Amino acid sequence: MKDTLAIVEKLHADAIIGPYAVGGAVGAAFYLEPVATLDVDIFVLFEPAPLILTLTLIYDACARLGYQPEGDAIQIEGWPVQFLPATQPLVAEAVCEATVRESAGLTTRVMSAEHLMAIALQTGRAKDHARLIMFVEAEVADMDRLHGILARHSLLDSWVKFENRFLKP
Amino acid sequence: MNADLPSIIQAKEAERRRLRALPWLEKLEMLDKLRQRHIWLQTMRPPTKQRPA
Repeated sequence: MKDTLAIVEKLHADAIIGPYAVGGAVGAAFYLEPVATLDVDIFVLFEPAPLILTLTLIYDACARLGYQPEGDAIQIEGWPVQFLPATQPLVAEAVCEATVRESAGLTTRVMSAEHLMAIALQTGRAKDHARLIMFVEAEVADMDRLHGILARHSLLDSWVKFENRFLKP
Repeated sequence: MNADLPSIIQAKEAERRRLRALPWLEKLEMLDKLRQRHIWLQTMRPPTKQRPA
């Protein structure tokens, strides 16, 4: 995983991809206990937004580095990596406000806990709800910041429903 | 209720807190191991029987 994220950061440093952020289960692992996941979700902001969005540049750059596509992902250092365009406003904000993590020579960019929670709420699958519960139990989020994000992206009603369903005895 | 249950729950919670507090580089190594184990478990699962068409 370290080598995988190092290659993603290299793609950013080489201007193949613009601002990006690690999301999904791998992003959540930065704040929670790690859980098994099979792939890495990298959300990428395209600036300026092209008329026709294509991932060809990314696929070509990865191919030059020896990383080949497999299904809807690219195999990078043993992990399938999905590059997902951050076109939806909440996801775009999550990429813009991602935090840079640096340690032992590795740099990567990760969505904030609050954005990961908001995206999980918006996505709304069973596994997203389970992750959201883990975030709440871990008390790692700034709840005022989360409520601000939920309000900006019209998710407050969904949050109330989630609270009533999963957090109230 | 099993009398040991509260202590089991407490121990699990303590383990979750320990894992949450790990440095992120160590968490990335854990993700590698968890994925390998998940894939290994999938290979150990017997093939499901196909329904006749």
